[in-house]
Amino acid sequence: MSNVVTVKKILETIEKAHLVNDVNALALDRPLSEQGVDSLDFSGILFNLEEVFGVEIPDEDIASLQTINSILIYINRKK
Amino acid sequence: MIALTHIGTYLPERKISNLDLLNKFEVDESFIRNKIGVVYRTRKEVHEKASDLCIKSFENLQEQTPLNLEDVECCIVVTQNPDMNIPHTSAIVHGALGLPESCACFDISLGCSGYVYSLSVVTAFMQANGMSKGLLFTADPYSDIIDENDKNTALIFGDGATVSLLESDQPGLVALGFDFGSKGASYKSLISDGRLFMNGRAVFNFTASTVPISIRKLLEKLNLTKEQIDAWYLHQGSKYIVDTISTRLGLDRDKVVFDMYEYGNTVSSSIPLLLSSDLYKIQKGQKIGISGFGVGLSWASAILEKV
Repeated sequence: MSNVVTVKKILETIEKAHLVNDVNALALDRPLSEQGVDSLDFSGILFNLEEVFGVEIPDEDIASLQTINSILIYINRKK
Repeated sequence: MIALTHIGTYLPERKISNLDLLNKFEVDESFIRNKIGVVYRTRKEVHEKASDLCIKSFENLQEQTPLNLEDVECCIVVTQNPDMNIPHTSAIVHGALGLPESCACFDISLGCSGYVYSLSVVTAFMQANGMSKGLLFTADPYSDIIDENDKNTALIFGDGATVSLLESDQPGLVALGFDFGSKGASYKSLISDGRLFMNGRAVFNFTASTVPISIRKLLEKLNLTKEQIDAWYLHQGSKYIVDTISTRLGLDRDKVVFDMYEYGNTVSSSIPLLLSSDLYKIQKGQKIGISGFGVGLSWASAILEKV
């Protein structure tokens, strides 16, 4: 089984945490903050991603993690 | 057996509206109501100290259940914003209320986990020393240390105080068990050297990961299921954190009490404030869960039963 994290796995993680109403409506290359994800939900998303994929996301890396695509690349690099 | 029988409360009438700060902090009303969960923050008068708030909560207690001061055998204050460094605030409260010289006084320095910790400490202290009546105060006036320009903290905290009357052999809430813990290595995530600093993400991660485990562990230790608990009184850190814990534990939302819209996060007073509204409605045999978490980083959970 591949260890590669896919967009589907990231969206499933966000969906399971009840953090976004419709994850399938999220544009992958648009900042989440422009798609109705506020700062608290963004913290919640990062927390769930850290937990599910076993990665640690330091505060200093957050500025570069504004879109689903950037999160995807980051997590696969960290794993 | 020592039971929690009555709770006196005090919330200042003066309030600051978070709705006046939407532009300043670039947030909308939905964020204030549905995420922060604080519309108004109570504010003591600038000159008032923790002991003043304690005394006002005691006046409320006296209205509920007239108490003979001579019968009070211990007086404990939970605060991290004491009137002054020396002496302990409980001594000031003791003097102001005119409690008897035989009454033991000490402070407990804890933040949002303070009430749950202190219930264990004070009931054990009373039992060990054969005491019948004790007063457990909470008062942590954060308005003295808040930076009103700091978005991470300015929208959250309100001032308030409570006093719990603990009595032996009286109907009330009795603790069935506790779970405690600390992550002292992360203490800098919530700290004050005169002005409060909070790393919101670190505190959120701590709470979301630790509190559900604490509650599960406690239920398991007591051989109880979450379905056997009639209501949950979680520390009102924010609506978002209460919702997060509830979701992660799979709690029935109708059983999770939430009420901080009108006053904010009152630190160690939040759980007794919530509980005060329901205390007399809890029926014999019903069980409730309480959990406090925050400064330290520290947590404490307990299951109480009405006897």
